[in-house]
Amino acid sequence: MTAEAPARPRLPEIPGPWQTAVRAWRVLRRMSTALVLLFTLAAASILATFVPQRPLVPTTVEEWLAGQAGPGAVVSEAFDWLGLFDVFGSVWFGVLVALLFTSLTGCLIPRWRGFLRTLRKPPPAGRNLERLTHSVELRTTLGSEQALAAAAPALRGFRRRMVAPSDTASGRPQLAAERGRAREAGSLVFHSAFYLLLLGALIGKAFGFEGQINIPEGSAFADTRIAYDLARPGRWFGLDDHRGFVVRLDDFDVRYYANQVPRDFVSRVTVLEDGREVRRGVTRVNHPLRHDGMKLYQVRFGMAPHIRVRAGDTVLFDEAVMLADAGGGVWTGAAKVSLGSRTGETRGPQIALDLVFLPDAAVNDDGVPYSRSPEPRNPRLIAELYVGDDLGLDRPAPAARFDRAAGQVLGPPAILPPGGQAAMAGGTLALEFAELRTWSGFQVSHAPGRLLLLAAAILLLGGLLPSLYSARRRVWLEARPDGDRTTVVLAGVALQRKPAFVDEFARISAAVRTALEDPA
Amino acid sequence: MNPQLAETSNTLWNVAFLLYIVAMVCYFFRLAFTKVGVDGLPVSSRAGTRVGLVGTGLALGGVAVHAVSVVQRGMASGRVPWANMFEYSSLMALVAVAVGLVVVQRRFGYGHLMGFVLFVAVIAMTSALLLYAEPGPVVPALQSYWIKIHTSAAMASSSIFMVGFVATALFLVKDTAERRVAGSGASFGGGTVGAAEAGADTLAEGYEADSGQFEEIASATAQRDVLSPVLFPVVPFLVVGAFTLAVWQLPVATLIAASAAALLGAATWYAVPLLPPAARLDNLAYRVIAFAFPIWTFAVMAGAIWAEEAWGRYWGWDPKETGSFFTWVLYASYLHARSTHGWRGRRAAWIGVIGFVALMVTYYAVNLWVVGLHSYAGV
Repeated sequence: MTAEAPARPRLPEIPGPWQTAVRAWRVLRRMSTALVLLFTLAAASILATFVPQRPLVPTTVEEWLAGQAGPGAVVSEAFDWLGLFDVFGSVWFGVLVALLFTSLTGCLIPRWRGFLRTLRKPPPAGRNLERLTHSVELRTTLGSEQALAAAAPALRGFRRRMVAPSDTASGRPQLAAERGRAREAGSLVFHSAFYLLLLGALIGKAFGFEGQINIPEGSAFADTRIAYDLARPGRWFGLDDHRGFVVRLDDFDVRYYANQVPRDFVSRVTVLEDGREVRRGVTRVNHPLRHDGMKLYQVRFGMAPHIRVRAGDTVLFDEAVMLADAGGGVWTGAAKVSLGSRTGETRGPQIALDLVFLPDAAVNDDGVPYSRSPEPRNPRLIAELYVGDDLGLDRPAPAARFDRAAGQVLGPPAILPPGGQAAMAGGTLALEFAELRTWSGFQVSHAPGRLLLLAAAILLLGGLLPSLYSARRRVWLEARPDGDRTTVVLAGVALQRKPAFVDEFARISAAVRTALEDPA
Repeated sequence: MNPQLAETSNTLWNVAFLLYIVAMVCYFFRLAFTKVGVDGLPVSSRAGTRVGLVGTGLALGGVAVHAVSVVQRGMASGRVPWANMFEYSSLMALVAVAVGLVVVQRRFGYGHLMGFVLFVAVIAMTSALLLYAEPGPVVPALQSYWIKIHTSAAMASSSIFMVGFVATALFLVKDTAERRVAGSGASFGGGTVGAAEAGADTLAEGYEADSGQFEEIASATAQRDVLSPVLFPVVPFLVVGAFTLAVWQLPVATLIAASAAALLGAATWYAVPLLPPAARLDNLAYRVIAFAFPIWTFAVMAGAIWAEEAWGRYWGWDPKETGSFFTWVLYASYLHARSTHGWRGRRAAWIGVIGFVALMVTYYAVNLWVVGLHSYAGV
């Protein structure tokens, strides 16, 4: 029996590249494909919420990779290989977005075409009106044409067209009416706005800039690439695109609520161009300062005690040291006092300062110093000097990471109020806490494409509302002579939100009935 | 700060919480006093009708008292009363109950569903209680008029999604029952069986057209019989119990939460024949979610504008931003699935359920367990 079956080729036919492309395009255009792509997008975002992301929390990612946190070093290694530590910057996420947009395009082109075609078409004539989901027969003394003309105003909000008897299947005159094109139009606008959204986002990515910088009161920074502690320029934001203006922090102010939560922090700044003051202003949280297409945001703040270290008459160090919040109202930091020198006659060791600052110092029952509040009511600086031949101060690393083990602590730590002085290392070094200052941390941003994004957002919402709430309805009136009277068949169909059409149709038929009885 | 006002606000809040609980119990009693009539319509006994009315009155009273409490709290702290998780959760409950009363009970006429809506609201109130924070001023990041726009829109849409979730979940139960009844041949008419497959809009239509006449006449017990009376309480008991134990490690709290879930499961099982047909529940869920979706979209957009103003970038894939994004994507998928052949009905409903879970994760889990820029607000 099997022998009689027609011989089949062992392998299925191999589709050519064109066929494959066509097939792939067809698959991409399907709504189920779009849905699967959307799920993948959602799944990727969920992963990115719970797996630490390198652009946001790089140190946590390092901890995961080192096996100190998370699911262990091996799993983290696999995560890293899959790009899960930077989902939104990964290649596969880019591919996913590209696929989504391809699918969207494939879906939108025929829909736009169809929509534009219907725009030009008047409401079509109806057939088999009695068989439609909603129909009712009305009688009137008016003639056919007059009846239809009289009923027309009752279909308020509908696009209407008189259909001549020759154009209808029944051979009787009709009034065809239609409404709810806003649904498709809204849906098309909504979906098309995503291209604008993408464009705006890409422009921002390519030509934008984000930089962060911390400076103590009284200092200034220039808008140049090297000035920033952290710079994230877009691919096409070049060195020359920096404005070069100078921002000076004149004053920083922080106020607290009674429960020690910050109430407000304000930086008063002066913007200088070519040495001239061009703008004075304040920047606060939620109130960035705009200048020359750049925005200056208040993002962080901290304590910056001004410290002077002298060896005899030589001033070794004279700077405000920016301290970091160590939690519990305690601030810590370090400074490179002297890089030392291993050659020549001025041979000297490296000197580093380790600082702890308590804004409202007190000593608890165990004799441990702590800070009662974040406000500098009783400020005390605890300073330790480290001396060694190689503390690693000449490395391009933050001062706080100097090699404490390679050095020697010079005497007991000095505890100083503002203006206080201490002699260290048997009087060879003098340490002075000259003044308590603060530092302020700014984000400087240039975000082109924002207006495009705003426009996209407005189009998205403006399209979304009618696409969800508008509904297409078609209504026909057909006049049939019935002796000396006329029977008018009123029929309608709802293409969406059908339950709501029940009431609508009742309202329409009541209005038509009134119009036919009482032709105004 | 006005401690006097804050205190009255808290007292009224407790009263509202109590009213919601009692109203919920009344609504469930109403279900217990309701039978499926010969025409398939649920018929409440006199006691059932009365207790239902009492429930409605209590729920309305709860909303009124709760609203006063919220306003007082806002006055006490001199800012909008939705600046921390306690206030936000509490307002979610308030809006959910209000939407339930206005849309589910009044507009759609599904008073039988209100017990379930109130149950979800009571959970939100409980979560608020667990996250209680004293009224007070807010950190500089929240001092912006955008808190009035972004946060209120997010809160309002979340509560409407909550009502949508109740409808979606009940749809899944009802649809299962209808299918099984149809499969076992126990039904006489079975007009709406599998309705969701064929498009809820189409089939709900005939139903609405003839003034609320059920096309389906299924015996009262048929839909109950096809569902397991054991699994309905036991599964929620185990799931909620495991979750509560994992989060709080408190045996007593676990037992209470798990028992409440078990009771809800049992009530759902009992209520199945009394629920509106699956196609109508599906329609209700869709309408509610389609109402909340643009508000959520707006909330995300407003959030982006605020982020631009506060943090210097409109979108940074911060955990909260990412969370609101995947919630948005999932609800968008729900809306798409509902108009896609082969997805509408149960599949779409499951997407709606996942969307709601995503919303809750975005709200609770991201705020409480993930470190991000939204980690503040007096949690």
